Amino acid sequence: MAIWLLIMLALPFAAAAATLALGDRRLSGRLSAGAGVGSFAVALVVVFGDHVARGRHALGNTFFLDGLSGVFLIAVAFVYAVVAVYSMGYLLPGIGHIQLRRWYWPLLDVFGLALLATPIVANLGVLWVAVELTTVVSALLVTAEGSDESLEAGWKYIVIGSSGLAAGLLGIVLIYAAGVPSLGDHYAPTYTTLTQAGAHLTPSLVRTGFAFVLVGFGTKVGLVPMHAWLPDAHSEGPSPVSAMLSGALLAGALYAVLRLGAVAQLAVGPTYVHVLLLVFGGLSLLLAAFFVLRQNNYKRLLAYSSIEHMGIVTLGIGIGGPIAAYGAFFHVIVHAAGKTLAFFGAGDVLSRYETRDADAVRGVIRVAPFTGAMVLLGALAITGVPPFGLFRSELLIVTGGFSQSKYALAGLLIVLVNVAFVGVYQLFHRMVISTAEPNARDRARLSRPEQPLMAAAMLASLAVVLVLGVWIPSPLNQLLHAAASVIGGRV
Amino acid sequence: MPAAPHYDLAHALAALVAIAILLSGLALLAVKQVHEQVRVYAVQSAFAAGYTLLIGLNNGDAALIALAVWTAVIKVLLIPISIDRQITRQVSEHEVPLVVQVPMSLLIGVTLAGLAYYSASALPVHGALLPTPALGMPLSLVLIGFFFMITRQNVISQIVGLLTLENGVFVATVAIAPGLPFVIGFLLLLDLLPAVLFYGVFARLIAARAKGTSIEDMSVLRG
Repeated sequence: MAIWLLIMLALPFAAAAATLALGDRRLSGRLSAGAGVGSFAVALVVVFGDHVARGRHALGNTFFLDGLSGVFLIAVAFVYAVVAVYSMGYLLPGIGHIQLRRWYWPLLDVFGLALLATPIVANLGVLWVAVELTTVVSALLVTAEGSDESLEAGWKYIVIGSSGLAAGLLGIVLIYAAGVPSLGDHYAPTYTTLTQAGAHLTPSLVRTGFAFVLVGFGTKVGLVPMHAWLPDAHSEGPSPVSAMLSGALLAGALYAVLRLGAVAQLAVGPTYVHVLLLVFGGLSLLLAAFFVLRQNNYKRLLAYSSIEHMGIVTLGIGIGGPIAAYGAFFHVIVHAAGKTLAFFGAGDVLSRYETRDADAVRGVIRVAPFTGAMVLLGALAITGVPPFGLFRSELLIVTGGFSQSKYALAGLLIVLVNVAFVGVYQLFHRMVISTAEPNARDRARLSRPEQPLMAAAMLASLAVVLVLGVWIPSPLNQLLHAAASVIGGRV
Repeated sequence: MPAAPHYDLAHALAALVAIAILLSGLALLAVKQVHEQVRVYAVQSAFAAGYTLLIGLNNGDAALIALAVWTAVIKVLLIPISIDRQITRQVSEHEVPLVVQVPMSLLIGVTLAGLAYYSASALPVHGALLPTPALGMPLSLVLIGFFFMITRQNVISQIVGLLTLENGVFVATVAIAPGLPFVIGFLLLLDLLPAVLFYGVFARLIAARAKGTSIEDMSVLRG
C-alpha cells in the first residue's frame, strides 16, 4: 500500500515541479489534469483495493488509513481531478479571466498535494502542517483573477485562516500534553498511539484541546461564527478554485476536527464531543440557511450553501449513533460532487455574462442549453432533491436523529434544509428559466459553444451525485460503515 | 502539602525569559511605527529562542537546542529582515492608524494576560522549568497577538500580529510539550517561511493598489 500512497502524492508533486518550470503553457494544464485524474485513480485503488476500512499503517508510522481517512481521501481526490480537468478549459483564452496564469497550475497542484496528504498522514502534527499548507496556496489562488475584491478576499482568508489554525495547533499541543503522563515526554502523536492511551489521557487537557481544535480547524471548515472569510473567498476566487475550496478544503479541515474528535471521545466520552459538534453544526446550518435567502450574488449564495452543508455534516456526526454518522460521511462525498457541479456551472455562467449579480443573468437555458441544464441540476443536487445523493444522505441523518430520539434536531434539520432549498432554487430558477430575451449582440457572446473539458468535468460530477443517489456500491457501503464506527459508534 | 519549590539558576532564568516574552508582547501594543513593531517581534522571537535553548540545555535535549538555533535564524533574522525590506520598498505611511489608542490597548493587553493566567491555572500542565501556570504566558501572547491583529489596520501590522500569535503557540509547545518531536517544530518553522513570503506578495499587491498598506478601505465585501 505504501508504494501506492507514495505514487498518489508524487503525481501532484511532480506536476507542480514541472508546471513551475514550464510556466503558462497548454502542457501545464495537461500535466496537472493527468496528475489529478491519476491520483484519484490511485486513491480508489488504495481505498477499495487495500481494505483500509479495518485501519492500516503504511511506511512504518508515516501513513495511517481507516474508514474515516478513506471517505475524505475519495472526496478530495475526486474534487482535485475534476477541478484540474475543468481548469484546462477555464484557462483557455476568452473563458475565465485568470491573471495569475504563471502560478495557477503549480499552486493548484500543491493545493491538491496538501489535500491528498491531509487524510492519510498518521502524525497529527504533520496533519496540521498539511492543512496549513492548503491555506497559503489556496489564498493565492483566490486572488488569481487579480481584481481588488479578490485581493481583499484573499487577505481576509489568509489572516482569518492562519489565526484559526494557530488555535488549532494549540489544541493539538494540549492534546499532546494530555498524553505526557501516560506516554512519557517524548512520543510521536499519531492517532494510533493516542487512541491506545485513550482513557489515560488527562481529561481536562483533552477537553480544552479539543475545543481549540474545533474552533481552530472549524475556522477552515467555515463553521459559524468563524466563517467570515468563506463567502468572500468562494465568491471572488476563480470558479474551479471555489469548487476546490468548497468540495475539498472544507472537508479536509473537517477531517482534522473529526480525527481529533475520535481521540478526544476516548478520553472524555462521546457526549462532550457530540455536544460541541451539535452546537457549531446547528449554528452554521441555522445562519447559513437564512443567509442563502438574501443573496443576490450567485457564487456567494453557493458559498453560504457550503457553510450550510458543513453544518449538516457536523450536526450529523454530533447527533451520534451509526446511522446519522453514516449519512454524514456519505454527505461529505455527495456534497463534494454536487457542489463542484454547481460551482462549475456558475463558472460557466460567469464566463458568459461576466457578472456575479443574479439579476443581470436571465434566460441561460435559451442561450446555452447545456450550461443552463447543468446549473439547474447542480442547484437541485445541492438542495437535496431526489434522486440526487444529497437527498439520500440528508434523509439518513434525519433518520439517525429519530433513532437517537433527537426529534427536535431532526425537525430543525428538515425545516432549515427546506429554507435553503427555497433560497438556492428560486435564484437559479430565475437565472436559468426566464423569458427575458437577450439582444442579438449579447446573444452572440453569451451563446459561445460549450467547452468540452468543462462540460466533461460537469458531467462527471453530475454522474457521481446522481448514481450515488440511487445506488451505493458495496465497497463504498463498507467504507462508510467503517468511517461511522470511528466516531459515531458501532452498528 | 505541596512540595517546596526547587529553585536554581535555570529556573530563575526561565522565569526571567518568560517575563521578558510577556513584556515584549505588551510592548508591541505600545509602538505605532511599523518598523518598530517588526523589531519588537524580532526581540520577542529572540526570547522565545532563548527559552527553547534553556529548556534544551536543562533537559540535555540536542533536538531542542537545534530548534532554538533554527528559530533564531528564521524568526530573529530572516523573517524580520524580509518584512523590513518590504516596508522600506513600498510603504508610504509608516505610522499605523490605531482603532484603540495605546493606553487603552495596554490596559486591555494586561487584562487579557490576567485572563490567560487565570484560565491556564485551571489546567494540570507541568511546564518544563516553569511553575504551574506554564501555559499562562504563551496563552497571553496568543491573546495579545490576536488583539493586536484585529485592532491594527495595516497589512504589515497584521502579519506581525499573526507571527506573534504563532510565537505564542510555539512557546506553548516548548513549555508544555517539549517532547513533541523535533521534526514537527522544524516543519512548523519551515512552514512559516513560505507563509511570510506569501504575506509579502499580498502586502505588495495591496500596496501597489492602494499606495500604502492600510486596509481601512478594504470593506467592499460584506454580508
